[in-house]
Amino acid sequence: MKLPRFAKDAGRRQSAALAAVVLVQAVAALFFMGDAAADIDLDGLGPESAVEALVSLALVLGIVTSGWQLRRTLETVQSQAQALEVARGALAEVIEAQFTRWALTPAERDVALFALKGLDVAEIATLRGAATGTVRAQMTRVYAKAGVSGRAQFAALFVEDLLG
Amino acid sequence: MGRAPSLKTDPAGGVKPPVWDPLVRLSHWLVALAVLVNGLIDKPGAALHVGLGWAVLAIVLVRLGWGFVGPATARFASFPPAPFKALSHLGGLARRQRPREYPSHNPAGAMMVYTLWALLLTVTLTGLVMTGGRSPMTIAADQAAVNSGDWSALVKQAPAEDDEGDSDGGKIVGAIHETAANLLLILAALHVGGVVVESRALGRNLVRPMLGRGKA
Ligand code: HEM
Repeated sequence: MKLPRFAKDAGRRQSAALAAVVLVQAVAALFFMGDAAADIDLDGLGPESAVEALVSLALVLGIVTSGWQLRRTLETVQSQAQALEVARGALAEVIEAQFTRWALTPAERDVALFALKGLDVAEIATLRGAATGTVRAQMTRVYAKAGVSGRAQFAALFVEDLLG
Repeated sequence: MGRAPSLKTDPAGGVKPPVWDPLVRLSHWLVALAVLVNGLIDKPGAALHVGLGWAVLAIVLVRLGWGFVGPATARFASFPPAPFKALSHLGGLARRQRPREYPSHNPAGAMMVYTLWALLLTVTLTGLVMTGGRSPMTIAADQAAVNSGDWSALVKQAPAEDDEGDSDGGKIVGAIHETAANLLLILAALHVGGVVVESRALGRNLVRPMLGRGKA
């Protein structure tokens, strides 16, 4: 599945950036507050202290906000992954049910599933430890049972199901 | 592509091993780097040393906050300190049993992390006391002044040195700082050893999820 992986990558980049922001903000905040505390220690409280307090507050709020955003982003990435899992599971069920309706034999089911995953005859033969001729014959029977003329049409049956 | 349509066999017995979130990963490598630089390379008391110490303090505080609000794998609740479980985990490793998977740290790893955090806080806070809370910027400025021949910066420092540097209390704080720092380095080495042993025992590379690879 190529498309959802893009979405996941975007989520990952975003969360990595947010994590970096949180940490940079935290380090900056501590340095700033340390410096402000030193100023107060040296010169006592002054009008500057009020500004420093305000900036400190802003920095801390910034950390909290980025942290909260990071958490949201991580939750979104996770729920997308879960949705994908569910969709995968559902598709697998649809495929299994259809195979049963077509009365595929166990060997034909395997070959058909490999074919749906985009493997070519040679690859399927290697994986199953069978001759390419055997695999080709099995695929022909699968297509016949499904009433399609070839692999593209065969795959299209399930894509159609997905798109509704 | 190219994978067999396998029945998913799950050696972990349903427990998903953790994929560390980016905050845990980034904070870890920054802290690890700072520990190595401050422990082995830079000059104690220099602005860089103090600056790294401040940065570590900030990062560890964020990580500790994340332990309450972060995702499940980062939460303290997922790896409560359990010394006896930690011992039985180590015992199992010694007997070459395959450990089970945990959703976050294994019990021995958890004890290690809590110890490392405690040591990091000890080292940074004693460091703050030793420098009289002077910021890395102040230290850098004073150092620059001394370098350019203005010795008054040393005089300014002197009272602070008196309370913290030479008194008995100051010596004790310095000794704690040094001991905790050495312990930190030793435990970090042990921690890397633990990663190697546990990776072997589990048959999966534990460094990968710490680099952000592996399935999310
Ligand atoms: C070899 C690969 C390593 C792996 C897989 C690894 C893994 C981990 C993990 C999972 C944690 C817990 C982090 C958390 O829950 O926030 C941790 C903590 C820690 N590790 Fe490592 N570690 C590795 C190398 C190192 C090295 C080389 C150091 C050198 C100093 C180090 C120092 C620390 C320290 C100080 C902590 C506790 C502080 C923290 O990360 O927040 N680690 N490590």
